[in-house]
Amino acid sequence: MTTDTNKFVIPIGPQHPALKEPANFEFWVDGEIVTGASVRLGYVHRGIEKGAEARTWTQNLYLMERICGICSHVHATAYTLGVEKLAGVAAPPRANAIRQLMGELERIHSHMLWLGVAAHEGGFDSLFMYSWRDRETVMDLLEKISGNKVHYSANLLGGVKFDITPELAAEIHKGLDFLEERNKFYLKVITTDETFIGRTRGIGTMTTEKAEFLGAIGPTARASGIARDIRVDAPYLIYDQFPVKVMTHTSGDLHGRFIVRINETFESIRVIREILDHLPGGELTTRVPRRIPAGEAVSRVEAPRGELLYFVASNGSEKPERVKVRTPSLCNWSTVLSLAIGLKLADMPMLLSGIDPCFSCNDRSVGLKSANQDPQIWSWEKLRQYGIEYYR
Amino acid sequence: MSVGTMISDLLRSLFTKPATELYPYVKTPAPLRLRGKLMWDPARCAGCQLCIKDCPSNAIELIVIDKVNKRFIMRYHADRCTYCAQCVESCRFNCLGMSNKDWEMAAVKKQPFEIYYGKEEDIALFMEQAAKPGTDQSCPPE
Repeated sequence: MTTDTNKFVIPIGPQHPALKEPANFEFWVDGEIVTGASVRLGYVHRGIEKGAEARTWTQNLYLMERICGICSHVHATAYTLGVEKLAGVAAPPRANAIRQLMGELERIHSHMLWLGVAAHEGGFDSLFMYSWRDRETVMDLLEKISGNKVHYSANLLGGVKFDITPELAAEIHKGLDFLEERNKFYLKVITTDETFIGRTRGIGTMTTEKAEFLGAIGPTARASGIARDIRVDAPYLIYDQFPVKVMTHTSGDLHGRFIVRINETFESIRVIREILDHLPGGELTTRVPRRIPAGEAVSRVEAPRGELLYFVASNGSEKPERVKVRTPSLCNWSTVLSLAIGLKLADMPMLLSGIDPCFSCNDRSVGLKSANQDPQIWSWEKLRQYGIEYYR
Repeated sequence: MSVGTMISDLLRSLFTKPATELYPYVKTPAPLRLRGKLMWDPARCAGCQLCIKDCPSNAIELIVIDKVNKRFIMRYHADRCTYCAQCVESCRFNCLGMSNKDWEMAAVKKQPFEIYYGKEEDIALFMEQAAKPGTDQSCPPE
């Protein structure tokens, strides 16, 4: 932070009515116009990566799933893909198809949740209620497949737990028809509603060059015209047999992000239908040894918010040596801080929710750095002095 | 989108019943695959303890009464359970399952979450032993 006393700083968070998750933002304002922004993260750091080192490979599957409540399935998928790569086994095609199907259903649920949250931040609560009501449909489908609405736990090391029966497939088709119709309606609303367009069009515009420079990923980057998607660039599961089309938009503003996400929902619906019609036969699981051979593996998947990267290292025992997670929300923060400058303060909630941030995904580690002390160890006395100095 | 559409939508919503379910007065049946309370069949258990090894939340304990005659009691901590069904997958003898009927398990005390499975005489024997001072072999200190 700055020591310039002439600047007027508005702090938002970590506890704030406009934020659903804890993070601390400081906006420097000149009247109503934001002239600078900073963010402090780490309030919901849970030590999951360290915790993973104390659990077996199987137990970690469920720990990784709990990194995020919205995209729990992609976390488990990324982890299983990494472990399977290390163990040298490949899940059967039917298992991969079901994983992909669950992943795409989850994308629909995530994007509809985001649509509601973003509409709510923009003061459009009817759309928020509508989209969350219709989101129940996809959550009910997920519950019918797996038995749980949020943490599906569909993955196993070497396969999946649940099969898709013909009856279930029929129910999914029915649910998708409804969701498609509703999303068409939402697309119409966000492209024709004047108030909504006023709050989104031309706000937070990011050019393709700027998006590349700031390292934006996921739908945020795709709304700025960068056609980058792990599902297409480096197909995993069976995305090579059931490909998706990358949805891009050229406007680069908040409105473009809405359109990209809703178009992605349509694309997910199309892929799910294709998978259901051509579901490969065969087994659901293969055997994975309890001890994973020593080595290192990196797995990448496309989460609803962007690229999710897992690094898994094994020393040949029943427990991993290191599991490193890089979640998409973290990569997009710089775009928010950079785009905030020049906008009105009232646009900040919309701009923040525009990247679909997930704070609990974000908060991976906390580092304390100083030139003259051990960055890891702080004595109580030092911490106390630091606190006194900080608030002086 | 014109204002008129919204008003007609609002008027229609006024006369339709709420979208929410009227639980607990009206109960919708749970889906077939719902993962509720864990169920254990003592007759088929061989005591391999694979379920305990794989449980991510240490929710299951197997207490051995007589190893030779395969007499076990299972102590299941429903409050620790994450309902992931890994134990059901790990079990080679199909003696574990998750109920889709028994899932309304809220309680104000911790005690109802400690569930014992097994033959009645085994549980009675174990409880008798546990009641004696200094012979508590059940729970590791927390």
